[in-house]
Amino acid sequence: MQRIDLDNCLTTKPDPLVVEAMLPFLSDKYYFPSNFVKTGENAKKELNNFRSVIADSLHTDISEIHLTSGGTMANNIAIKGYILSNSDKGAHIICSEIDYPDILTNAAFFEESGFEVTYLKADREGFIDLQELENSIRQDTILVMTTLANHVLGTIQPVKKIKEIIKSKNKETALFIDAGHAYGRMAIDVKDLDCELLSLSGHKIHAPQGAGALFVKKGVQLAPSKHGINRIDPLDTGGISIAALAGMAKAVELQFADLPAVISHIESLRDRLFTGLEKNLGKLCVNGAWGEHRICHNLNISLTDIEGEGLMMLLDMAGITVATGSACASQGLKPNYVLIATGRSFVESHGSIKFTLSRMTTADEIDYVIEQFTAAVQKLRKLSPLAQK
Amino acid sequence: MEYNDKVMDHFANPRNVGKMDNPDATATEGSYTCGDLVTFYLKINDSSQIIEDVKFLSYGCASNIATASVTSEMAKGKTVEDAKKLTWKEITDELNGLPGSKIHCSVLAVDTLKSAIKDYEIKKGLRVADPFTKDTIFQELKKVIYPPASEDICTLKMVKYVYFDDGIATIIVDLPNYDQYKEHIFEDIKETLSRYPEVKEVKVQ
Repeated sequence: MQRIDLDNCLTTKPDPLVVEAMLPFLSDKYYFPSNFVKTGENAKKELNNFRSVIADSLHTDISEIHLTSGGTMANNIAIKGYILSNSDKGAHIICSEIDYPDILTNAAFFEESGFEVTYLKADREGFIDLQELENSIRQDTILVMTTLANHVLGTIQPVKKIKEIIKSKNKETALFIDAGHAYGRMAIDVKDLDCELLSLSGHKIHAPQGAGALFVKKGVQLAPSKHGINRIDPLDTGGISIAALAGMAKAVELQFADLPAVISHIESLRDRLFTGLEKNLGKLCVNGAWGEHRICHNLNISLTDIEGEGLMMLLDMAGITVATGSACASQGLKPNYVLIATGRSFVESHGSIKFTLSRMTTADEIDYVIEQFTAAVQKLRKLSPLAQK
Repeated sequence: MEYNDKVMDHFANPRNVGKMDNPDATATEGSYTCGDLVTFYLKINDSSQIIEDVKFLSYGCASNIATASVTSEMAKGKTVEDAKKLTWKEITDELNGLPGSKIHCSVLAVDTLKSAIKDYEIKKGLRVADPFTKDTIFQELKKVIYPPASEDICTLKMVKYVYFDDGIATIIVDLPNYDQYKEHIFEDIKETLSRYPEVKEVKVQ
């Protein structure tokens, strides 16, 4: 049996049509864009087509889309570029304790460089504290950063409300949104969100790794954070992969051809998984928000009498990939920082399992996962002193 | 980081699993903070001093289960004196090695076995139970890990005050209110010390 991947938050399998779309760029169409020669002119047209596909998906203009070599690169270009370009206006930035590591590591970098960072608290469902945000914005606050759909909990931040608060306190403060886990899993209209910067990643929606994009609102200045020759994009200099970008454009086309149907398919399977697990195992502790404020592909649950690494490995042996917040499975033997920051106990973090689905997930796969997950939990409960109590 | 085939075999098919009825000795060691907890149950022949049966329960990762499983196999059939000589290195070697970050699981398994043997010796009057003192509390606090540093709270000099009187253990830990791990560290201290019958109440500040 083929492996079942329910860790699509990490990365996704490239769609065969995506691979097909990439192939010409790995053989005949290998040129960089340039002027006055046919090969370079064609490359320029192709790249503009890719930008156009991504611009359409965000309901914006092609001039506001930059192509990058991935989501993390887009995040670095946006955060470093904006802060360096606006450091004369202030040295205060805001993010939350539960943001994606790209935001937190950039915040820590600027903190070490003398900037002041406010790390907002989040509640048990993973919503940032809006009152604290309002209280924290000052005249020298240059940037607020947030993760649209949390990478652990799936909670969708109320970004329109966040922007309203920012505008009411300081019109000069910009909003950066990391939409890596939200893009292609919910409708995003950058004009409606009214953000200055928004990043996305291709490989979360069946594009290859190594392609991403950044929305930069017209008029927003970014200092260069990656110096080098301008080949594809002036912000992400050097020879980034046109084949990967072609793959991303195709993946976006496929994902957005009927986005409501994609979301509905993923959400119904996520709910089928949750209902099936609850039927077999009793009431489950869900981490994160539920309903319309949760991204469609995420289910994160905690079991308090068994440990997540063992559970993840038993599923792995059954051909299923999932993720856990267990300290034992982490590089630094630490419980998951998002779960701890949202009030979960160590035991709840150690016993957490995160399933993330994709549009390629099938009902048969979900039914098999329900069966195997139930068996693995029952096996570990026989072993656990906490389950004997 | 990868587990070898022998570790995977003991994880997937653990030996000697379960709770034992009327054991001659038992012990639980480990930490909720780290997410690993092991209980050993022993059946010991009083005249031959041979460990005739071993059972275990484990709340922990794959290597926690595998090390407890192989320790149970190695202890079974040994005399109490020989079992006391088992080392974490022998457990690790018997499993053909463990990833570096998982060595502590073999330490926990062998320590729990030795605690169970100690329980047996105390019950049979072969040794006197160590008096419960401030030192006992310090020994237990060394098992409480502060996750961001992956070190125990004693080594990190976070323990500022320890007092024990009339069954009440009072511990002052130097952690700021905003520390996201504070509440969990406090819970872990209470859980660890509450395992001692001498401790009626744990106050952590």
